[in-house]
Amino acid sequence: MKLTQRRITRPLSIAFLTTTVLSGCATFDVNESIGWTNEEAATFTGGNLELARTAGQRAARTEAATALLAEPLTRDSAVQLALVNSPTIQALIARSWETGASAAQTGRIPNPVFSFERLVSDDSQTKDLERFIAFGLLDVLLLPMKKGVAERGMESARVKLTSDVVAEVTAVRQAWTQAVAAKQLVAFAEQVRTSADASAEMGRRLESVGNFSRLERARQQVFYADATMQLATTRHEAVVAREKLIRALGLDDRQLAMLKLPERLPDLPAQPILPGEATQTLGDRRLDVRMAKASLDRAARAQGITNITSFTDIEVGYRETKATGPEESEELSGYEVEISLPLFDWGNMRRDAMSAQTLAAGNEYAATLRNASSSLRETYSAYRTSFDLSSFYRDEVVPLRTLISEENVMQYNGMLIGVFELLADSRTQTSSIMSAIEASEQFWMADAALQAAMMGRPMDASVGTMAAAGGGEEAGH
Amino acid sequence: MSSRRDFMKYASMTGGAVAAGSVSRNLMAALPEAVIQTEVSTMPPLFPDSGPDYNPVVTPNGWTLPFRMRNNVKEFHLIAEPVVREMTSGFNANLWGYNGQSPGPTIEVVEGDRVRIYVTNNLPEHTSVHWHGQRLPNGMDGVTGLNQPAIPVGKTFVYEFVAKRPGTFMYHPHGDEMVQMAMGMMGSWVTHPKGKNNLISDVDRDFCVIMNAYDIVPGAATPKIMTMLDFNLWSWNSRIFPGIDSFNVRQGDKVRMRFGNLTMTNHPIHLHGHEFVVSGTDGGPVQTSARQWEVTTDVAVGQMRQFEFVADELGDWAFHCHKSHHTMNAMGHDVPTMIGVDHSGMAQQIGSVIPDYMVMGERGMADMTEMEMPIPDNTANMMTGDGPFGSVEMGGMFSMLKVRADQPRGDYTDPGWYEHPPGTVAWEYTGELDQPERFKSEVSSSNMAPAPPTESVEIDVRKPRRRLG
Ligand SMILES: [Cu+2]
Repeated sequence: MKLTQRRITRPLSIAFLTTTVLSGCATFDVNESIGWTNEEAATFTGGNLELARTAGQRAARTEAATALLAEPLTRDSAVQLALVNSPTIQALIARSWETGASAAQTGRIPNPVFSFERLVSDDSQTKDLERFIAFGLLDVLLLPMKKGVAERGMESARVKLTSDVVAEVTAVRQAWTQAVAAKQLVAFAEQVRTSADASAEMGRRLESVGNFSRLERARQQVFYADATMQLATTRHEAVVAREKLIRALGLDDRQLAMLKLPERLPDLPAQPILPGEATQTLGDRRLDVRMAKASLDRAARAQGITNITSFTDIEVGYRETKATGPEESEELSGYEVEISLPLFDWGNMRRDAMSAQTLAAGNEYAATLRNASSSLRETYSAYRTSFDLSSFYRDEVVPLRTLISEENVMQYNGMLIGVFELLADSRTQTSSIMSAIEASEQFWMADAALQAAMMGRPMDASVGTMAAAGGGEEAGH
Repeated sequence: MSSRRDFMKYASMTGGAVAAGSVSRNLMAALPEAVIQTEVSTMPPLFPDSGPDYNPVVTPNGWTLPFRMRNNVKEFHLIAEPVVREMTSGFNANLWGYNGQSPGPTIEVVEGDRVRIYVTNNLPEHTSVHWHGQRLPNGMDGVTGLNQPAIPVGKTFVYEFVAKRPGTFMYHPHGDEMVQMAMGMMGSWVTHPKGKNNLISDVDRDFCVIMNAYDIVPGAATPKIMTMLDFNLWSWNSRIFPGIDSFNVRQGDKVRMRFGNLTMTNHPIHLHGHEFVVSGTDGGPVQTSARQWEVTTDVAVGQMRQFEFVADELGDWAFHCHKSHHTMNAMGHDVPTMIGVDHSGMAQQIGSVIPDYMVMGERGMADMTEMEMPIPDNTANMMTGDGPFGSVEMGGMFSMLKVRADQPRGDYTDPGWYEHPPGTVAWEYTGELDQPERFKSEVSSSNMAPAPPTESVEIDVRKPRRRLG
C-alpha cells in the first residue's frame, strides 16, 4: 500500500476532466453516414439508402419492393429494388456502423480507475480507508490527436460504405444485364433448335421416301443434336444468371415469384460517353483516393501518438486516505504519478512499425492516385470497345445477316439452293443475332463498370472475344 | 424481202458508224466503218451490196457484220470490247464481245474472196482472233505467241487471207482464250460457195447459231471465268430461252441450220416434227451417200454442224439441246429431291424461323413455273417462257421452229402461236379411270393447299396458288 504523506492543497478537478472528455469525445452517427452516402452517390444510385431498424421501417421497405416488382424490372428499378430490399446492403450499412462506432471509440479516453480500500489491523484498532482515482495522463493530453485518428477512421467507414454501395449497385446492374441477356439468348437458342428440328424432321422424311441416304439424314440430324445441347446449356445459363440477380436483389421466395424481366436489353445509347467525360475524374473526390487518403492520415496521426506513447506511459491519480487508530485519526490526500520506465522496451519497434505503416499508407495513396487514372482508362477502353462492337453488330453484322437470309430465301425460291441450306442459314443468322445480344450484354456490363470506375470503385469489365460474323460459306453440308 | 437498198437503210438505222474508242479519226478513214449493234432481236439477212452475190444467213438474236469492198478486198472491222448482253428479258450479263454484242456479228463471205479484217482491241487486256476451221497462211491463224504477237490494248491488227473453203466456221480469241471465251468472245463465220456446188444446196432459210455457256451466279452479272464444267447458263448466240427467238419459216421452205459449239461439252441438237440430214461438218460438205436421216445430231466441243430439211409440217415445233439440264436456266445442282416428301406440319415450323418460306418441289420442279416468288435480282427463272397452253417449263438451249403456210418469203418475223386445226390437240379424257395407289401421298400434302385426309380414294390435285412478291 502506498501512502502519500503530503497533503495536496488543490485536488485536480475531476469535474473539469469529465467535461473535457465528454464534450470532446468522437461520436459516429450511422444516419449521418447514410445521408453522406446518399448525397455522394445520388446520381449513381438514383435512390436512397436507409437502415431499417424498426418493424415499421421494414414494412415500408417491403411495400416499396412489392411496388417495384409489379412491373418488369428495368435496369434502374433493379437498383432501386436492391436499395430497398437487399439484406446485403443492409448488412453493409450495419457493418459500416460498427466500423464507424469502433473508430469513434478510439477517440475517447479510457475511463478513470477508481479504487477503494478498507484496511483493518489485526486488533481492529486501526482502520485505513483509502479512495483512489487515476487516469492515464497521456490519454488526456493526446486526446485531440486521438480524436483526429478517430475522425479519419470514421471518414474511412463512411467512404467505404459509399464504395461498397457503389460496388453492390454495380453488381446488381451487371447481374440484371446478364439475366436479361441470358433470357434473350434462350429465345434465340429455341429458334435455332426449331430450325434444326425442321432439318432433322425433313431429313427423316426424305429418307423415308427414299430421297435421302441414311448418311444424309444423319448429317441433318446432327444439327438437331447440337442445337438441343446448346439450348439446354443456354437455359441453364439463364437460370444461373437469374439466380445471381435474385441474390443481388435479395429476393425472398414470395418476391422471386413476382420477378418479371424485360424481353430485351435496352438499346445502345445514341452516343457513348466520351473519353473526356470519363477521365475527367472526380480527382481527390474519388472514393478510392479518399480511402487511401484517410488511411494515410490515420496512419500519420497514429504515428504521432505512438511516438509519444511508445516511450512511456504516465498515469495520474488522486488519492485520499483516512486512517483511524485508537489514538488518533489522520486524513491524507494527494496525487500520484506513475511512469513506466523504458528500461527494456524503448518502443522503437512500435515506432518502426508505425512509421512503416505510415510509409506504406503513403505509398498506397500514391499508387492509388496513379492507378486511378490508368484503371479508368482501361475500363473506358472496355466500355468504348464494347460500344463499338455492339453498334457494329447492330449496324453491320445483323443487317448483313438479314440480307443474306432474305437473299437465300430468293435463292431457295429460284431452286438455286435447297431447304437444308435455307435452314442452315437461318441457324447461322440466329447465331449472329445471339452474338449481337452478347455484344450488347458486354456493353451494358462495361457501362456499369465504367460508372463504378468513374466513382472510384474499379469493377471488372473485360471485353470477351466476339463470335465471328460468319462468312459466306453455307453451313448446309 | 429485203433489198440491198434496204440493207443500207438498216445498217444506218440500227447500227450506225461508231468510231472505236482509242482509234484516231485519221486512221479510221483508212478502216471500214466499225458498225456497232446493240439490238438483241434477230436482224434481217444482210444482202451483199458489192462483190459476188450469195444468199445470206440469219443469225437468231444476232446480226451480220457489213463490209466494204476496197481494191477487190472484202474489208471488215471488228472491235473487241466489253459489252452488256441481255441474255433474256430481265437478265443482263457483263460479257466481252465484238461490236457491241456477244457473240460478235456473223461474218459472211464467198468462197475465193480475199478478206481483210481489222481487229481493234478495246478490251482491258491483249487479244487475238483465231479463224476457226479456215485454210489460211500460218501467220494469220491468230494463236498469240505462236503465229503473231498479241494485239495490245488499244491497238488494231489486220488479218488478211483468202476464204478458200465454203462452209460454216467460227472465230474466237486465241490469247487468254480460256478467259475470253468464258466471257463470250466468239462469232460465226459463213463462207458461201462460189457458184453452184453439188453438195451445197440452195436453201430458202439459212440459220446460224453459235452455242456458248456461262457460269453466272444468280444475282450477279459477270461470268465466273474459272468454271470448267458446271455452267449454269446454256445459250444460243448468248441468249437463253425464253430470250431465244423462234426460227420462223414458210411451209415447204428448205431450211439449213448451222450450229457451232464453243462450250465445254457436247450438245445433241434435236428438232421435233421433222427429220434432217447433216449436210456439212467441220471438214466441209458431207458426201450425199454418207448422209442419213436423223432427228438429233450431236455437236461436239469445238465442232460445227450444218443440217438441212424441208419444213413441211405446220406448227410450232420444239427445237432444243437434248441434255435436259441444258434446257434450264440457273439452277441449284445440289438441291435435294423433295418429290413425295410429306410436308404436313413442316411449313408452319420452318415458317416460324423463316417467315417467307414456301414448300416447293414436293411434287416435282414444275411448281417453279407456277409460283411467282421473288428470286435474286438479275436472275433468269430456271424454267420459264409461256406457250399458248401454259408454261413451256424450259429455259436455256430451247427454241421453236415455227412453220407457217403464209409466212412471207424472206420474212423472219414471229408469226405468233400456231392455230391448231380442230381436233388436232391432245385432249383430256374424262371417262372412268383407276387411280394408282402410290399417287395419293404425292398429290395431297402441299402446304399451300393442305388437303385434309379424306376417306375417298379420289385423286385431289391442288395446284399452288399464284403468289406475287
Ligand atoms: Cu446441250
